[in-house]
Amino acid sequence: MSEVSTQSSAATTLSAPHKTKKSYLNKIGFGFLYLILGLFAVIQIYPLIWLLFFSLKTNQEVFGMSPFSLPQDPQWGNYTKAWTSGNIGVYFFNSVWITVLSVALTIILASFVTFAVTRMSWKLSGLVLGLFLVAYMIPLHSTIIPLFNMYNSANLIDSPVSIVLSYTAFNLPLTIMILLGFYRTFPREIEEAAVMDGCSVHRIFFRITLPMTVPVLSTTAIINMIYNWNEFVFVNTFISSDNWKTLTVGINNFVGQYLTDWGAIGATLVISIVPILLAFLFLSDKIVEGMAAGSVKG
Amino acid sequence: MKNVMSNKYVIALYTLPALLLILTLIYIPIVLSGYYGFMDWDGIGEMTFIGLDNYITLIQDKLFWTSTYHSFLLAIFSTASLLLYLAISLVLASKIKGSDLLRKIYLIPMLLSSVAIAQLWMKIFDPTNGMANKLLEMFGVENTPIWLADPDIALYAIFIPVIWQFAGFYILIYYAALKNVPDEIIEAAKIDGASSLQIAYKIKLPLISGIFKVTIMLAVVGSLKYFDLIYVMTGGGPNGASEVMASYMYKEAFKLNNFGYGSAIGFGLLVIALFMTWLISKLTKSKDDVQF
Amino acid sequence: MKKKAFSSVMTLALAGGLILGGCSSSTGSNGESSSGDKTVVKMMHLWPEGSSNAQYTIVDDIITAYEKENPDVDIQTEILGNEQYKEKVKVLSASNELPDVGITWAAGYMKPFVDGKMFAPLDDIAKEDNFVAGTLDAFSVDEKPYAVPLELNITPVYYNKEIFEKYSLEAPKTYDEFLNVVETLADNKVTPITLGNKDRWTGSMWYMYLADRIGGPEALNNAINRSGSFEDPALVQAAEEIDKLVKMGAFVKGYNGLSNDEAKGYFMNEQAAMYLMATWELPNYTTTPDVSQEFKDKVGYFKFPTYEGGKGDIDSYVGGPGVGLFVSEQSKVKDEAKEFVSYLVEEWGKRSVVDAGVIPATVVDTSNSELHPMYIDILNDLGNATNLTLYADVQMSAGVADVHLNQIQALFGGQTTPEEFAKTQEEALAAEK
Repeated sequence: MSEVSTQSSAATTLSAPHKTKKSYLNKIGFGFLYLILGLFAVIQIYPLIWLLFFSLKTNQEVFGMSPFSLPQDPQWGNYTKAWTSGNIGVYFFNSVWITVLSVALTIILASFVTFAVTRMSWKLSGLVLGLFLVAYMIPLHSTIIPLFNMYNSANLIDSPVSIVLSYTAFNLPLTIMILLGFYRTFPREIEEAAVMDGCSVHRIFFRITLPMTVPVLSTTAIINMIYNWNEFVFVNTFISSDNWKTLTVGINNFVGQYLTDWGAIGATLVISIVPILLAFLFLSDKIVEGMAAGSVKG
Repeated sequence: MKNVMSNKYVIALYTLPALLLILTLIYIPIVLSGYYGFMDWDGIGEMTFIGLDNYITLIQDKLFWTSTYHSFLLAIFSTASLLLYLAISLVLASKIKGSDLLRKIYLIPMLLSSVAIAQLWMKIFDPTNGMANKLLEMFGVENTPIWLADPDIALYAIFIPVIWQFAGFYILIYYAALKNVPDEIIEAAKIDGASSLQIAYKIKLPLISGIFKVTIMLAVVGSLKYFDLIYVMTGGGPNGASEVMASYMYKEAFKLNNFGYGSAIGFGLLVIALFMTWLISKLTKSKDDVQF
Repeated sequence: MKKKAFSSVMTLALAGGLILGGCSSSTGSNGESSSGDKTVVKMMHLWPEGSSNAQYTIVDDIITAYEKENPDVDIQTEILGNEQYKEKVKVLSASNELPDVGITWAAGYMKPFVDGKMFAPLDDIAKEDNFVAGTLDAFSVDEKPYAVPLELNITPVYYNKEIFEKYSLEAPKTYDEFLNVVETLADNKVTPITLGNKDRWTGSMWYMYLADRIGGPEALNNAINRSGSFEDPALVQAAEEIDKLVKMGAFVKGYNGLSNDEAKGYFMNEQAAMYLMATWELPNYTTTPDVSQEFKDKVGYFKFPTYEGGKGDIDSYVGGPGVGLFVSEQSKVKDEAKEFVSYLVEEWGKRSVVDAGVIPATVVDTSNSELHPMYIDILNDLGNATNLTLYADVQMSAGVADVHLNQIQALFGGQTTPEEFAKTQEEALAAEK
């Protein structure tokens, strides 16, 4: 709010000679900008509204006429169906704890590695970093059959351990790459000063680096969370009992041999997006708050 | 002097857990997969060792190179789209009125699973009832395209949702990066009379160039191994028109019972991605040196 | 502030570690103890409670009844959606970990599993006379059955009676009449036929019928089993007819990009007049509560019309058994699994048509059941069938089937000529032998 005034005042000071003309143009410019921003906002929020409508349609309607029409007779039954058939409650719970645990593990491990690579000096740091970068390039489907064999011999098939480990391992490279981009822009002075003061590495990492990177951690947490929440290849392959399946696999419950119940799938999708939307809104504020806190301290 | 910061014990403690995870869960499987590439194996019965046959076939396989070309196109478009996302993030991070709300809205599609996104876009592209053609009809277009059914445009049509799907991802990263630029520098520039554009171009962009470089890498490698929406929405069709490397690999390994050959394709994909990463880091090296 | 954030992250990580440790040990012990002294038979199937409630319930009931009769057996099921099922079976077979009992598709899909010695021969439990003629053959390799069929489908053309009446059309009996129907509808800007040819097997059914009506059932079968050639004039002519239909605008706009589910929507919403699909669609037109009665009343079906001068007759169908049950060769409880499979197939046959609208591959006695008239008609047609040609892509091995299906898509898309279409497939078939 106050920023807008600084913006415009900066503009006015710059354009003192043609004051009226410039500010007029400025207004048009801003109007145009907001028009584009608004349009983009509509495009971006539309999928959510569409999904909501989708979840209230019958199969016949889903594939009928305009996909943009309102449901003629809202099928709240889709939600009942989604909630009662199958074990969606169990899936829901599994999705939550598996996601939270994997995200926490990934972020802490990735921070360790990024810290060691960017802040500490050792010969093999380049090689280690390279290993993570290359790991990002490996297509998931190339690994799935060997992975199954390995988990099978380790007796981890149909155990959530295989899922948590897979999520962590496969998200580490991406997380490290993003963290790396940020770590390099963070000032090293504080850490260097701490070294001078004789702080231990752990202390520097946990007391200085980690808190300083909270905004970035929130960013990577959001990304990791979304990936884990929506993942289904691993769950589908490594888990067979209902006890450990997650929400994405719950969608399978409505895919039939010949008939698919799209309305119920829509309802399941809506149910599954609620928690992640809330978590997202929460974490998204952390990015900004963290920045603010950081700058106050700095 | 920096004794503490080169303590071997700490370095091992910090890197080994993660390293161990990716070595066992990513590297061992990919090495095994490379080994399957030397086999004639349908994924069901006995394996037969056939040496380099699969890899030789791969080099001569037109379909593989077509799909590689398609993957490269996707990589180029994805990389180009980064500029748009960067522009949006610059606006969002410039603290204009309502930016907080806008940012949240912009990131919403990122939360949707591929299943939902595929359904949405299949409906947008429906030739008779879909929104794309309804819009075109409103503007008086008579011969509306058949989108995913037209081999000439299917590939480009499918790029739209793929690229759009990642909008939130990159905007989020850029936004965080821009918010990370210390306010003092910007304030100082303002006092010196710099315009918003000048601030963006001369101050903000150089400061986030490191992150921009990372996102280029992510976009290129991510595109080269991209699979989800293409597999669901076109299955690589019509008639291979939208086949990309990963969908081709999946098809050979899981659908056509050529597990050995599928593994070879996966290995080819990895080699190509490696080469591209090396190329990108070469190309962006000079900037990097200035930065750090 | 900082401390708090950090400590919460740490506690999370720690708690995570504890949960992890706890879980791994508990599942380990659970997995072993739950079996107890009962014989566990693991079964995988693809009828989830949500989408295939009727089939799910039947299987569930059968399992309950079986376990009651055999208290020492514990049947454990894992249920997946169609695509996921196929993918998982791939991974499981590559790791030699197939379930004791599972679902398989016929012929070309099944053969690699038989060649790889994954499926156990079932000649001891599958008796030819119990099944509709030919269905067991589709699950046999070298005369030996390796799975028992559960379903049987034929493929009629469904049509919207109201649309037909509006343009004074009648269900066609000959191909010329059929072309007239297509032309009239197209002239009146009504989509004559909806087709989801992204899935490709959908277009293949149209081609197969034309091949059958022009060249008789042998033409295509011989081309596939290599006693004939795909460049048979009848097979080329059938491709020309497809090309003609495409040029007449017979198919819904953008059919090559629509999935079968999307294409079906056009028929269900009365935006298209005809839809060629197997009898698994019947519940939608008869019993499914989600579909309005008004629409159900409008749906009729006709047999694919005869072609003038062609060798095929009207009672020859494209179709075949859908899925069957296999028993894993590696199973440690093979005898129990086989016994359960034969029990399941028998009970399934008694209930599937009435409860789920699925026509079983076992011989059904419908005389005293209350079936929808459309079912009775279809079952009668089935009884009078002179021939049943198994879906081409099911007959072929996966590699050749992919060539066939791609060629179908190219033919429908006008990207190939009928001659090239035949030649490419002939080459693929010849290369395989």
